[in-house]
Amino acid sequence: MSKIVITGLGLVTPVGIGIRESWESFIHGKNGANDMKSFDTSQYKVHRSCEVKNFHLDVELENQIKENTIHKYLYYAAREALQESGLLYGENNLNRERFGIAIGTLAAELTPHERLMRRDTSKKDNGFDKIVAAVYPPNSITNVLAQYFQFEGPTMVSLNACSSGNHAIAWAYDLLVENKVDVVMVGGGDMIPQTEFTHFHNLKALAPERCQPFDKNRQGLMIGEGAGVLIMERYEFAKKRNVSIIAEMAGYGLSCDGFHMTAPHPEGEGAVKCMSDALKMAGLQETDVSYINTHGTGTPHNDKTETTAIKRVFKEHAYKIPCSSTKSMIGHLMGAASAVESVVCCLVLRHGIIPPTINYETPDPDCDLDYVPNVARELKVNHIVNNSFAFGGNNATTIFSRMG
Amino acid sequence: MKKRVVVTGIGIVSPLGCSKEDFWSNLIHGKSGIAPMTTLDLSPYTCKLGGEVRDLKPEVHLGSKGLKYLNKGTRFLGSAAKMALNDAKLPEDGSLSNQMGIVIGSSLGNFSETTDYFYEIIRNNPSELSPMLSYDVALNSSINYVSVIFKIKGLARTISAGFTSSTDAIGNAFNMIRKNMAKVIVTGGVEQISIDLYLIFYLRGLLSGLNGTKESSMPFDRERNGFIMAEGSFIVILEELQHALERRANIYAEIKGFGNSFVGGKKYSMDERIRRAERAMHDAMEDAEIKKEHIDLISAHANGCKIQDSIEAKAIRSLFGINSSNIPVSAVKSNIGEAYGTAGAAQLISTIMSINTSNIPHIINYSEKDPEINLHLTLEKPLEKEIQNALVNNMDYDGNNSCLVVSKYGK
Repeated sequence: MSKIVITGLGLVTPVGIGIRESWESFIHGKNGANDMKSFDTSQYKVHRSCEVKNFHLDVELENQIKENTIHKYLYYAAREALQESGLLYGENNLNRERFGIAIGTLAAELTPHERLMRRDTSKKDNGFDKIVAAVYPPNSITNVLAQYFQFEGPTMVSLNACSSGNHAIAWAYDLLVENKVDVVMVGGGDMIPQTEFTHFHNLKALAPERCQPFDKNRQGLMIGEGAGVLIMERYEFAKKRNVSIIAEMAGYGLSCDGFHMTAPHPEGEGAVKCMSDALKMAGLQETDVSYINTHGTGTPHNDKTETTAIKRVFKEHAYKIPCSSTKSMIGHLMGAASAVESVVCCLVLRHGIIPPTINYETPDPDCDLDYVPNVARELKVNHIVNNSFAFGGNNATTIFSRMG
Repeated sequence: MKKRVVVTGIGIVSPLGCSKEDFWSNLIHGKSGIAPMTTLDLSPYTCKLGGEVRDLKPEVHLGSKGLKYLNKGTRFLGSAAKMALNDAKLPEDGSLSNQMGIVIGSSLGNFSETTDYFYEIIRNNPSELSPMLSYDVALNSSINYVSVIFKIKGLARTISAGFTSSTDAIGNAFNMIRKNMAKVIVTGGVEQISIDLYLIFYLRGLLSGLNGTKESSMPFDRERNGFIMAEGSFIVILEELQHALERRANIYAEIKGFGNSFVGGKKYSMDERIRRAERAMHDAMEDAEIKKEHIDLISAHANGCKIQDSIEAKAIRSLFGINSSNIPVSAVKSNIGEAYGTAGAAQLISTIMSINTSNIPHIINYSEKDPEINLHLTLEKPLEKEIQNALVNNMDYDGNNSCLVVSKYGK
């Protein structure tokens, strides 16, 4: 069976545009929260989120993609990742019908739609026009990326709420293992639709000021936006192209709580199955894992349940594994979250530095693992577990390993 | 060693009825599920017809408790999934939970309800809206609902790929069982008519009846000029063969292969699009290890669009050569319309029914031959024929081509 490797990374996050800027922020524990600018929040009790700042694309593309910046975030991240993997300016001898795309999103189509509906509130369908009608279904994302980067193979858009990115990665992994494709551009992107903001706000799931995963006084999640892209390919293909390998994608696990539309299973049943299955697929023992990038949203429920689940899977070893939440810095990027966090995992393998959980002040007896509080840590890491547990109980865990 | 995958349950919510029996009886008798739309105000627009679901009684399948919080699409999917699980006689005590998954295709899911919710947000004080208003408004919330009420714990996945969403979902579920990642997967699609979706198609010029043309769902006909939109949920239970045999399940058919290709945007020539459509069919047959001489039926994507029907016909002609004069081609969208993200699942179920009854429904609304369409169309009356292997085509306007090979089950 072929190994599946990562050869390119791209990021657009609330703490940086591009890999370099984002990573600098991550290891320095920068807080990406800001006062909301995308829409007026005066009627809400919460006025903050983690927005992408100072984002501009080349003028040419600005003109071509006016309507929907999720395409722009993904375009930027994809271009950065392709550049690194050497696939941006296509070598002519490659069969691009074996280049696939898999993208996860929660609500890609909503933001442009909201913009139009705000224009005229007298009747629901007044805001439509031709341009939007042509761009907004979720699969428009893969269509746009395929067109710009000449990817001509199978495509997929995964709508699995907050585990969409990991689902896309799992789908790509299968396709590569089956040798149906040579390369898959995988990732996730989301913006902050007012719809989702309201949804979380009215469920009282939003933190008012900052995101404090695993802290005793955590008050909820912060919505974030951005995109993350990874170039996954078959090892033989990467080797033939003589490109440097960042990490190996070692396996994944999927599960579903089948329990409640918005609350996780209290014993973390789904989360346990998902992590255990991932370890099994990767052929790893619990003690092989040297870092967990947690789902760590900062809601009272999630962080407690996830901690319980980690202890159930890793037993005594759980206390020895650093588990941090990058959501403390960039917020919850929803459909993009697990893709962005997968990029982070690859960067951890590359640099040997674990980004911290910031805003951590008061230990919670229910959350008693090593969350890498506030300061990044140098550590040689071999295998990383990347968790995503979505609303509705869609769980997906991916594992990234140092290339042996 | 790859596992074999069989179909052991069927659930249908459709414009042609909300049970397997009604759907098939209406289809084989050449009835149409298309009529003037009653749920949308279409007075400003010229296209008036649709394949709406008219006789669903969700309380029969889901009970009446909490029903008021469920959107149309969730009622469709919940009801169809319940019918399919009952049909498969699967245990409901949760004993299979960890072996069970759900993989559903839906292009726009509960999108219309999501925008309705946004409409409430901008017209009211958003912080005063009840959280129950947004209980069921994510694009994949109907899938979550089904996983919760039927205690599905293996995996849940929603795939959005435009017109091919449900075929891609079924193909994905098929591959997961083949690889032993689950024993049973509830799969298929769900899509609903809404003013939002109507306008997307209307503004893109895809609907039949624009610019004074005749409004009708007439795949492959010379006068075809677009499609009629439809809605519903078509669900199959896929099961690993050994598992099905051990519990003595009724086996409808075996899924043998899946293939898909992507054109990637709209810049490609007709020839290139034909070649890619051909490739998806070829890949599905190769995956199934079935030679093209052994295909006895093709369920065409054919939704009545001028160019796409012609691309598909040419691709079939080019791949099957002279032999394509002998392979009957059906087009169930003539009866039900274009059900978008669940259309492929509708075709698959119709094909499975043909395999089980040795009867192929004929294409309705067909009157004049198009010289560009050189196929053995099933016309005027149903065709009685024993079917061993069939090909189901799903070909997206945007360039996705997805195909399944389904066969009569035999030891």
